[in-house]
Amino acid sequence: MENSVKGDGLMVPKNLQPFKPFSRSNTRSTAFESTGIGYTLLALGPSLSLFIAVIAKKPFLILTLLSSTLVWLISLIVLSGLWRAFLPFKTGSLWPCTLIILTSVAFQEALRPLFWKIYKRLEDILDAFADRVSKPRLFITDKMQIALAGGMGHGVAHAVFFCLSLLTPAFGPGTYYVEKCSQMSFFLVSAVIALAFVTIHTLSMVIAFNGYAEGNKVDQYFVPAVHLIAAMLTLVNLAQGGCIIGIPLLYIMALLTMGHCGKMVWRRLTEIRSRQGSSF
Amino acid sequence: MEPGGSILESIGQEIIGVMSPVSICMFLVVLLVYSLYNPATATTIRTAANLVYMESPTDSTSQKLEGSLLNAVVFVILIALVTFLLVLLYYYNCTKFLVYYTRFAAFAVFSSMGGSVLLSLIQHFNFPVDVVTFCVLHFNFTIVGTLCVLSSGGPIVLKQSYMVALGIIVAAWFTKLPEWTTWVLLVALAIYDLVAVLAPGGPLKLLVELASSRDEELPALIYEARPTADMGRSGIRGSSLGLLVGGVMGDNSGSNSFEVELQAVLRNEDNNGNENRDGESIINVLENESNEIEVVEEDVGESSPLIGGGSLVERLPSPSERRNNDNANGSSRENEGQREDGAEGLRGLKLGLGDFIFYSVLVGRAAMYDLMTVYACYLAIISGLGCTLILLAVCRHALPALPISITLGILFYFLTRLLMEPFVVGTSTSLAMF
Repeated sequence: MENSVKGDGLMVPKNLQPFKPFSRSNTRSTAFESTGIGYTLLALGPSLSLFIAVIAKKPFLILTLLSSTLVWLISLIVLSGLWRAFLPFKTGSLWPCTLIILTSVAFQEALRPLFWKIYKRLEDILDAFADRVSKPRLFITDKMQIALAGGMGHGVAHAVFFCLSLLTPAFGPGTYYVEKCSQMSFFLVSAVIALAFVTIHTLSMVIAFNGYAEGNKVDQYFVPAVHLIAAMLTLVNLAQGGCIIGIPLLYIMALLTMGHCGKMVWRRLTEIRSRQGSSF
Repeated sequence: MEPGGSILESIGQEIIGVMSPVSICMFLVVLLVYSLYNPATATTIRTAANLVYMESPTDSTSQKLEGSLLNAVVFVILIALVTFLLVLLYYYNCTKFLVYYTRFAAFAVFSSMGGSVLLSLIQHFNFPVDVVTFCVLHFNFTIVGTLCVLSSGGPIVLKQSYMVALGIIVAAWFTKLPEWTTWVLLVALAIYDLVAVLAPGGPLKLLVELASSRDEELPALIYEARPTADMGRSGIRGSSLGLLVGGVMGDNSGSNSFEVELQAVLRNEDNNGNENRDGESIINVLENESNEIEVVEEDVGESSPLIGGGSLVERLPSPSERRNNDNANGSSRENEGQREDGAEGLRGLKLGLGDFIFYSVLVGRAAMYDLMTVYACYLAIISGLGCTLILLAVCRHALPALPISITLGILFYFLTRLLMEPFVVGTSTSLAMF
């Protein structure tokens, strides 16, 4: 593993001390912390804006997000418990990685119908509550927002555990390069991959819930397929220089998910509106 | 698009009102730990929590375990003694003394412990401030804190911020304890909390019963989460949690609804001039006895069909709330519900400061290992808090708030550290993620 000491791509030879009017520790610490914050925002920026714009206003959505993150955390713990006996495996070897990823994706996708069942129960309770306090029942946008919050919980869990937790060295001097992908620093690569996965996870839940609600088989199978393909694409990163191919392909999957979700939401909303329009 | 506003806008507001200050407190303690913690220069201080055994990294495992157990037992005994003393004082109506002593303790925490935290921050970040300015600002900070923490005057946001600041300072101080001692201490305190609140002779149970029989408020430091005044749109407030859970329980008679209240008592102990704070938490359930849940409020605008409108039997109201409740009691059998007189008319959830402190201590200790453990412990604690609230809505009698969260937190910490980390770090450093 190459370990070059660089600060933002700039080599500073030791014998050259630049004149700094302020105290050295002041400027140095802010420069390094900003790269760490930069990587964090790269992975979680869109989620943060989505959170502030949509989710923070409705307390119930915040609770949904928290419980969704908890469920995915527990799923990760269970998976790691299953595989603990076989660790540490030789990092970079193909077959163990493939097996691990296959089982993990299968396990996580099996949790989704469970999520759906719990959500159905919750929907009934909420509708009963709305009737009791004589408020309108849950709108379709409410249901989609709950699904969005659930998906974002999944995405945030992924980003935190696969990207953010490893970013701690990025807040200090120096950086880290992975052999197989030596063009960018490890932190940048993992942040970029995390961004793609956050998008995929967030929108998958919306698509999946809609698929279960309408009984639409295409949507129901779309989500696990996308998850599996995206996870398999990251295996391309195991090859030397593979991340040059792997990451753009991953983003194609993310864009595909975004497009499908947008199309589906638009279709649902215009359906409901036309139905409402015709009934009046 | 939505004429009446959806219920999604307001459900769960009280829970978030309690969870957000807890989250803020934990987040700031994690930031403090990350910026100030330096394992090489960490000096252990002798406090009440490690009177018996001073841990050093070179001891053997069994020695550390024994020493930590002794430390924890001694600490819990001290806490129990002080709680019994508190019960005794309260029994003999020395409430004034307790109030003044709590104020003095708040002053001491803000000035000495807060001062040392601020000084280390200034030192670490080379913040350019001179002694005189620092003294003046710190003095102001301390005095305002002492004044507004126990009184009911002043803006509620200020009081809440000072409560959170108090929690942060004490938690940051507690994170200086050595590792084994911290974990064993947390477990011991969770067990103590369970016993003190639920067992028949437990001091906290006695205290709560005394206070409720006198219909007074405890002279203690409690965080109050007032619901915001901006609820005109949705119009649902009060104990929607209670109604929701009541619906789950199939309570079709709709006769009962309730408010949830978590209270805590703070005790202090002097130990060589070092102030140590500790708190236990008890949850009171206040019953609302009325049969009219389904009453629809004809009044539009501000007032809501308050869940179960009618009399609110309160055991521990604060002076301002007592005023409003007398009004409510007066119009008990009418379908008016409780009007909102500013923010004070509504009861929000209250959480004891001891909970803040020990949750933050757990998360702070997790922060000394890794960010993954921090996140896992944070989620565990928040879910424990949520579970406790739901359990409270079901059980309807005083419950301790520490045990579930601390148990889940410790469980998740060790699971993450031992199981999850090698797995996730292994896959993500080879850039194979799912």
